Amino acid sequence: MSLPTVEIADVHKRFGRTTALDGVGFDAPTGITGLLGPNGAGKTTLLRMLATVLAPDSGSLRLLGWNPAVADERLAIRRRLGYMPQEPGFHQTFTAFEFVDYVAILKEMTDRKARHDEVARVLALVGLEGVMERKIKALSGGMRRRVALAQSLLGDPDLLVLDEPTAGLDPEQRLRFREIVSERASDRTVVLSTHQTEDVAALCPRVVVMLDGVALFDGTPRELTDVASGRVWLAPERSAAARLSWRTPDGSHRNIGEAPAGADLVAPTLEDGYLLLVGDRAFAEEAA
Amino acid sequence: MTAAWHADLQMLSAYADGGLDDVRASSIEAHLLSCETCRDLLAPAVPAATIDRVWQGVVIATVAPHAGIVERVLLRAGVRDDIARLLAATPSLRVSWFLAESLALGFAAFAANVAPGGGADAALFLFLVIAALAPVAGVAAAFGPGLDPTYEIGIAAPMRNERLLLMRTLAVLATSLAIAGLAAIALPGFDRAAIAWLLPSLGLCLTTVTLATWIRPVVAAIVVAMTWLAVAASVTAARSDPVAAFRSGGQVLALALIVISALVLSRRRVVYEGGVAA
Repeated sequence: MSLPTVEIADVHKRFGRTTALDGVGFDAPTGITGLLGPNGAGKTTLLRMLATVLAPDSGSLRLLGWNPAVADERLAIRRRLGYMPQEPGFHQTFTAFEFVDYVAILKEMTDRKARHDEVARVLALVGLEGVMERKIKALSGGMRRRVALAQSLLGDPDLLVLDEPTAGLDPEQRLRFREIVSERASDRTVVLSTHQTEDVAALCPRVVVMLDGVALFDGTPRELTDVASGRVWLAPERSAAARLSWRTPDGSHRNIGEAPAGADLVAPTLEDGYLLLVGDRAFAEEAA
Repeated sequence: MTAAWHADLQMLSAYADGGLDDVRASSIEAHLLSCETCRDLLAPAVPAATIDRVWQGVVIATVAPHAGIVERVLLRAGVRDDIARLLAATPSLRVSWFLAESLALGFAAFAANVAPGGGADAALFLFLVIAALAPVAGVAAAFGPGLDPTYEIGIAAPMRNERLLLMRTLAVLATSLAIAGLAAIALPGFDRAAIAWLLPSLGLCLTTVTLATWIRPVVAAIVVAMTWLAVAASVTAARSDPVAAFRSGGQVLALALIVISALVLSRRRVVYEGGVAA
């Protein structure tokens, strides 16, 4: 196993009276690590720290072997970092090409020819070569997400931090996204957050479940699925023993919890494991 | 359309490899424009890398920068293309911003010319206030969360944010001062009072940038502007002099603000780099 390129230990962060991170800690090695969790779990706060945008109140953070609290080391991290925020902003009057070119300049690419080649490359990578000349304000939401992804890929970064990159993408675009990210993850580190358990199942060899600012689970998707092993059963009605239960399209109820004797047990899914772990709160959000 | 004669494969291969002299290459090129058969023969002979390179060149030449008006002006003024693009993304370096500032100052200058007695004094005071505060608003809008849509992406990028801030602040100051300077010419009895806003404006801008290391730039600008406005208005009212706040006492105060802000900013500028506790 490769050495961790992201090391997070006992990190705390408060915004006024709200505790966003409450002693979160885990390592992320080369490859893709998915952060899964309900809204308000602290995923975005943590990813903003990994992107060196935000500093923790306490705890330690090492990215690519460097300490982001030290100015020179923070600069070294930023030179090898790609970041896609949860709600990326755009200069609406720029074209897609101009916008990514603008970010390339912020990434210290001063040679015009080389920079424009790189901008064209990343836009082609996300399938936007046909709309490079179109103004950002004329692009669809999905296309804008891809522009945001393209800018994060500039310079082939060693650490890619993506905050809900698949939000707003249609199934085909999500598939394309998974291809792009998985191709890059063989020798690089990608940390992404998502609400989609399918993204984690399809993409992430490693998953961290966050809730209330702590890492509730850290393991493989298989291990997360196994959390619900022997604890998922189908019944005609909602079972009193179930912690969570919902009606499936075929009319039966899928129950999760401590299965009663003689229950019709079924193989759990990743979603079952996740729901069981984060409990009723996440279920309420999923249902909404 | 297909021509009556065709180039042989050997010649097309040589053309694809770049091995023909200029005369024969030009002849082949002219022929290819009208001969589909030869184009079909040539296509497989051209290395994929060459096609990619040529296409990339076409893309870059046709798509790459069709610059906006601000960027074009900067490029014509000899500003480097990467810096011009960074400045063109400044929210307060837009034509609409320049127009708004010009209109406000133009109106105040016009009123100072036509209003009778006390009205002219009030208009002069208004002109000086707008001239001093316009750069403050521009600087606050040039950089920071909320108004700069790419602020967060910019923070995570290696370019030093204090450099970006400095570039944009200087550009906003230069344009604001130029507009205010031109409008000042239209003031009645143009004299030193017409440029008395200059030092206070610089002081207020620097104070705003310094205060913005603790609070959001826009909030900093509002705090600075309201405080200064209250002081200027009360001094003006107390002395019945429209330029009282801009006379020597005000200039000394502005100078003190510049010195103190510069000292504090030199210690606080690391906050602009992001990722550090404020």
